[in-house]
Amino acid sequence: MNGPDRGTTRDRHACLSFVTTYETDVLIVGAGPTGLYGAYYAGFRGLTTTVVDVLPQPGGQVMALYPEKDIRDVAGIPAIRGRDFVNALIEQAAACDPTYLLGRQAVTRSPDNEVTLDDGTVIRARAIVLTAGIGTPTPRSLDCGAEWVGAGVSYFVLDPTVHAGQDVVVVGGGDSALDWADTLAPIARSVTLVHRRAVFRGHAATLDRVRTRTRIHTDTQVVALHGTDRLEKATLRSKTGEETVIAADHVIAALGFISDLGPLRDWGLALTSRSVAVDRSMRTNLPGVYAAGDLTGYDGKVKLMSVGFGEVATAVNHAAVDIDPSLTLFPGHSTEGAA
Amino acid sequence: MSYVIGADCVDVLDRSCVEVCPVDCIYVGERKSYINPTACIDCGACEEECPVSAIAVDRVARRDEALNVHLEDSRVFFDLPLPGRSEPLGDPGGAQKIGDLGVDTELVAGL
Repeated sequence: MNGPDRGTTRDRHACLSFVTTYETDVLIVGAGPTGLYGAYYAGFRGLTTTVVDVLPQPGGQVMALYPEKDIRDVAGIPAIRGRDFVNALIEQAAACDPTYLLGRQAVTRSPDNEVTLDDGTVIRARAIVLTAGIGTPTPRSLDCGAEWVGAGVSYFVLDPTVHAGQDVVVVGGGDSALDWADTLAPIARSVTLVHRRAVFRGHAATLDRVRTRTRIHTDTQVVALHGTDRLEKATLRSKTGEETVIAADHVIAALGFISDLGPLRDWGLALTSRSVAVDRSMRTNLPGVYAAGDLTGYDGKVKLMSVGFGEVATAVNHAAVDIDPSLTLFPGHSTEGAA
Repeated sequence: MSYVIGADCVDVLDRSCVEVCPVDCIYVGERKSYINPTACIDCGACEEECPVSAIAVDRVARRDEALNVHLEDSRVFFDLPLPGRSEPLGDPGGAQKIGDLGVDTELVAGL
């Protein structure tokens, strides 16, 4: 079924710009189980496939929320660890050699299905299948100091060395907060860890290290940030109402993530509640754009991986006919082509 | 499908669950937090995080009389007007943007 014009996805560097452009038959947005199975299915239909995900690793919710737990509701597999199941899906899709663009977010879509990622990469797709699940994880913000975000307040530590010599305040009680406090302790002038509760959620061993190298304020919140040209101070308030002002060149808010539709909200997709509306072919209201899995909503929808697998097979087979009308909707049997 | 917060949360209101909820569907009342059953994705992150083990999945809660009461009460919290309000909360689409509600259902207020 591979036509001569359907080679592998081409990576074309334009001569005079740094924008990378990919051409692909099917662009899959979201590398969770549904997206990975969609990548397999698109390959099975002889289509070239590109998979984008904002997370740095494939596997979506399975890898983010329960990589070590057993999954027991996939047909024909009595029990499989989340991590192993994702690896099996990647292996299944690998036969069709999809291109993965991970750690990057699909931001905008043009009417002719050209999608631009947050790093400027452009993907010219003949069909798009959205399998974005619960959407994009966005960092929870601090209650104060919105005006300092990007200039004294950040949600990640991309390069610890930029905090050398700084008075750094890390806010949060989970693994990220502890890990960053731990990493920055030997680099920064000072690290103050501020947590709203008395108990930390992160690993005990990290906490033990952090306790010896940072100042810790528990039952405390950051309530105000101060500075003129740059961030200089933070006001902390304890549960008992006591306020302390401390030196702060930088505040790192590690308060967890909230997932929502993110940039997809601006694509003009018809929504039902928080889900993307689809018809029985899994088409959205946008031409050439399909959706499958937890992202979709309709009367009677059951959000299970099993359902996502069925939906994405439906989506990809319809997309295949869109792309090449000489193809049949029914793909044939996978047993026929087995080597 | 949803998780539910039981009476053990009342007056503890630890909020660890709020911080780990990936869809921001846990709303803080005055003495207790409430999971919006229509937005919950059943991931279970909150159950593991709760320091007083107040949270259970609805499938388990239904078999436990004390928890089952709060399963119904979660619907009351979102679907009926809260005391002193004229409109039901409904599905506000995220707890962070509306902040603490500062009010509980009649059931919780009377505990």
